[in-house]
Amino acid sequence: MRRLRAWLVRWGGLFNKRRQDRELAEELESHLQMHIEENLGRGMTPEEARRQALIKLGGVEQTKEKYRDRRGFPLLESLLQDVRFGLRMLRKNPGFTAVAVLTLALGIGANAAIFSLLDAVLLRPLPIRDQRGLVLLQWHAHKGPRFDDYSGFGDCEGRAGPNLKDAWSCSFSSPMFDAIRANAKVFDGIFAFAGPERARLTGNGPASMADAEIVSGDYFNVLGVRAAIGRTIQPADDAVSSAPVAVLSYGYWQSAFGGNRSVVGRTIRLNDVPFTVVGVSEPSFTRLSPGKTQDMWIPRSIFPRVGFTENWSKIESPGSAWLAVVARLKPGISRARAEATASLIFRNELVYGSKPLLEAKEDPRISLIPAQEGLTGSRGEYTTPLYLLMLAVGIVLLIACANVAGLLLARSAARAKEIAVRLALGAGRVRVARQLLTESVLLSVLGGLLGIVFAYVGVHAVAALISGGSADAFPFPVTLDMRILGFTAGLSILSGILFGLAPVRQATLADLTPALKDASGGLPVISRAGKGRLSIGSVLVVVQVALAIVVLAGAGLLVRTFQNLKDLDPGFDSRNVLLFAMDPALAGYKTEQIQSLYQSLQKEFGALPGVTSVSYSAIALLSGGYWRGGVKIEGQGDTVDVDLQSVGVRFFETMRIPLLSGRTFSPADFTNDTSMPSMSSSTEQPSGTTPAPISVPLPVVVNQRFVQTYCAKQNPIGINLSKDGSSSASGNGTDDKTRSRQYLVVGVVGDVKYAYLRTGILPTVYLPKNGGGAHFELRTAVSPQSVLPAVRSVIARHDADLPLFDISTESEEIDKQLSRERALARLSGFFGGLALLLACTGLYGLLAYEVTRRTHEVGIRTALGAQHWDVLKLVLGRGMALAMVGTVAGIVGALGVTRFLQTLLFGVKPIDAATFLAVAVLLLLVALLACYIPARRAMRVDPMVALRYE
Amino acid sequence: MKPTTGKADVWQGTLALMALKTLEALGPLHGYGIARRIEQTSGDRLAVNYGTLYPALLKLEQEGYIASEWGVSDNNRKAKYYKLTRAGRKQLEREAREWEQATAILARFMSPGEEHT
Repeated sequence: MRRLRAWLVRWGGLFNKRRQDRELAEELESHLQMHIEENLGRGMTPEEARRQALIKLGGVEQTKEKYRDRRGFPLLESLLQDVRFGLRMLRKNPGFTAVAVLTLALGIGANAAIFSLLDAVLLRPLPIRDQRGLVLLQWHAHKGPRFDDYSGFGDCEGRAGPNLKDAWSCSFSSPMFDAIRANAKVFDGIFAFAGPERARLTGNGPASMADAEIVSGDYFNVLGVRAAIGRTIQPADDAVSSAPVAVLSYGYWQSAFGGNRSVVGRTIRLNDVPFTVVGVSEPSFTRLSPGKTQDMWIPRSIFPRVGFTENWSKIESPGSAWLAVVARLKPGISRARAEATASLIFRNELVYGSKPLLEAKEDPRISLIPAQEGLTGSRGEYTTPLYLLMLAVGIVLLIACANVAGLLLARSAARAKEIAVRLALGAGRVRVARQLLTESVLLSVLGGLLGIVFAYVGVHAVAALISGGSADAFPFPVTLDMRILGFTAGLSILSGILFGLAPVRQATLADLTPALKDASGGLPVISRAGKGRLSIGSVLVVVQVALAIVVLAGAGLLVRTFQNLKDLDPGFDSRNVLLFAMDPALAGYKTEQIQSLYQSLQKEFGALPGVTSVSYSAIALLSGGYWRGGVKIEGQGDTVDVDLQSVGVRFFETMRIPLLSGRTFSPADFTNDTSMPSMSSSTEQPSGTTPAPISVPLPVVVNQRFVQTYCAKQNPIGINLSKDGSSSASGNGTDDKTRSRQYLVVGVVGDVKYAYLRTGILPTVYLPKNGGGAHFELRTAVSPQSVLPAVRSVIARHDADLPLFDISTESEEIDKQLSRERALARLSGFFGGLALLLACTGLYGLLAYEVTRRTHEVGIRTALGAQHWDVLKLVLGRGMALAMVGTVAGIVGALGVTRFLQTLLFGVKPIDAATFLAVAVLLLLVALLACYIPARRAMRVDPMVALRYE
Repeated sequence: MKPTTGKADVWQGTLALMALKTLEALGPLHGYGIARRIEQTSGDRLAVNYGTLYPALLKLEQEGYIASEWGVSDNNRKAKYYKLTRAGRKQLEREAREWEQATAILARFMSPGEEHT
């Protein structure tokens, strides 16, 4: 208690110092006076009386010092003193301080910004209350099971083609999920989910598209997610006989329903099936898998009735794997035991179930991955770039630290005399070191503070850059929270110590005598440097140059990747193409109706002013969607995998894909198709009808790659193909899927990039499009977006309840695809430039300092007849020698590092001689400039002035 | 913050005790008076600097055992007067008791012969 009180009073002692000092002085003065009077009374002379009193007291200043030690906290006070002194030193050199603080702020700010993004993408926990024991089910097998249909929704990673070796994935069939749920007693709860699927929403203003996540009845209960209003989906809702219900996400409720509480109980229609809104989820629950969002959740059992597309016809079959499954372990059950139980059920169903899909020898089994780790969502596509950027900014920070260390070193050299005097007068080396460290930490803290500002501005800019649009497009919430601030604080203090160490070491180990003698104030170690030995300053410059080369080399490769992709010819003319999609099947149109709708739309769009050509296809080019399936080529054995695309008439003309031989589709190819009664498919009954055998083969067009691969020796025109039922698709090219029929090749067209710019071109077969949803392509003579209002009014004349979606242009699609590459190229280029700038500033600083220090020497040399050229050579030679050593070291380092970029590169090898050479030349040129400025100053040294300078 | 040597500890402790005892005996008193009194009581055998008293007084004040205020001395001089607080009085009793015990033990320890004969 007493101690605490004393401690508190001592804290008080830190303040009001001046008054307390005055009181103490008065008290001691009155003490002395009383003593002197007493001594005078004993008959001493006044001088003697005062002397004796002072002796007895033990000295006024000594007493005061002891008193002060007791009054406050001496250690703290000396720290405050150091800080005050440090601030004064920084204020005295505003140029130095500004450069150092700015350098550090850039380094620290960049690190904090990239770390924030990394944190948002990788480290955030799931937005639920309790994720203990929450695991994702993942199956493994030596060979992929023979699924009829297999799909994933990007919740987790996997590879699972039929017969694919070492397959693994987290997609399960509906019966499999039911079997595991019924039999695995090791779980507290288990749920399945898939989607989101896009549905046409009516009953809330004009028709729109909404994303619905399909979930099993336990989804909300197992996650522990509550309703903000109303209720969540319950197990009773997930039965075949249950009335359709939907739970809205909080964000969608706010944006589409204005946060109106009366939404509960309202009926909305998804693809014309009425759903009752029973609740809104709590606001914090925005997603399960990172980066994925949905507008609402609907029960799994109702999903087949909604008839999204005919592709979903078999979703209740064991051969259809499409559900992701997450479970919560029972407390006390180990993961290994739960895995064993789940594996047993999985194996039984898969090998011995109603429809065997795999043999027991392929060892199908389940592993349980912690949900936060397993549900990668769209995390994967951001992970590598972010780690890469983190590495780059880490290096930039190192360079910044080396740079500031160099600055401090040069300055401490100027202060060497001061420090030597302090040491000679008996200041402890520790005390001096502490003072110097305080100064550098002070600098780094200032840098850190400014860095937070940079980070705050930078993080949104970087997020916008890597998601290729606005910051809102970045699918992860980005905030600068306490963890980031802690990270930044730690980083700045660490960097302060890091770059503060070199000058401290040098200052405190210095031999005093030469420093005291040396009139120019140079520090002994540095002054030796001029005579050929490598000083710490030179080493720092070499390190900076080497690190800058590493960052520049990486940036160079990424810039070339971006250039390569940008200059890539996709095989069609991507300029001025408006894209938009519609799916009349969702609104209940029959195939024949769709065909005639498309024909009249095509005609009417074509008549719009500014539109030069119109067509449509199942999948828009370069939108990321594709349709792949097996075809058998007449006269060749195995089924081969090809890309498939169904297109409308004039597709190749509209996209400007060259016809190489034969012909493209004519209107007759489509009318022929629609006249076949078996082709109609009803969306209300997605199970569909099995097509009758057709005698007339369907005309198809193939691409050049197809001809090169499969028709090396024969004329491709007239070849017969047959297609089996199985195919896999991604995106919304969902018509014509399950037809089994004969094709006749009638034409060959040029190769085009289908889904992605980066992937190679596969043999492709184009079919005449028949029904289903379509992506329209409108080639325009004006800005594509400007014809959109006219397009809308054309559609509204046909059917006001037909929503348009995926509105875009081909240029935008390409931009979107290149966004990551563009962002990486820009950011790494920026950081590379920053590294270059910092390294060359470091070089400049060192040379400028040396030139100043050697003014005297240069003066003597000039006086003795050295020419300007000799002086120039002296300085340039030294600077360029350092730059070259650093460049060589950097290239060696880059050779080791750039292979980590492999997966990000396109059209350029990780070790690319041209890039490395260009980077080295760029650095040496800038270095030359950095050397030239101080060299010119050295050249202009007037020997008279320099000699008088002493 | 803390005196670093044991010797100083003992001195600080006893000096504080002597100061408290002085204030108990003489009532409010200034630093010089306390120092003189301690010196006189010890029969001038304690030859220490008066200066060491002031940090000790400060410590006692911080701990709340004594309080100080400015006053005027007998010969009309402004001086800081210290006086014992209630807590100080209790502390003095406690410390005096401990001191007696300690010296008694030490005394027996120093003349062990008596007990065993």
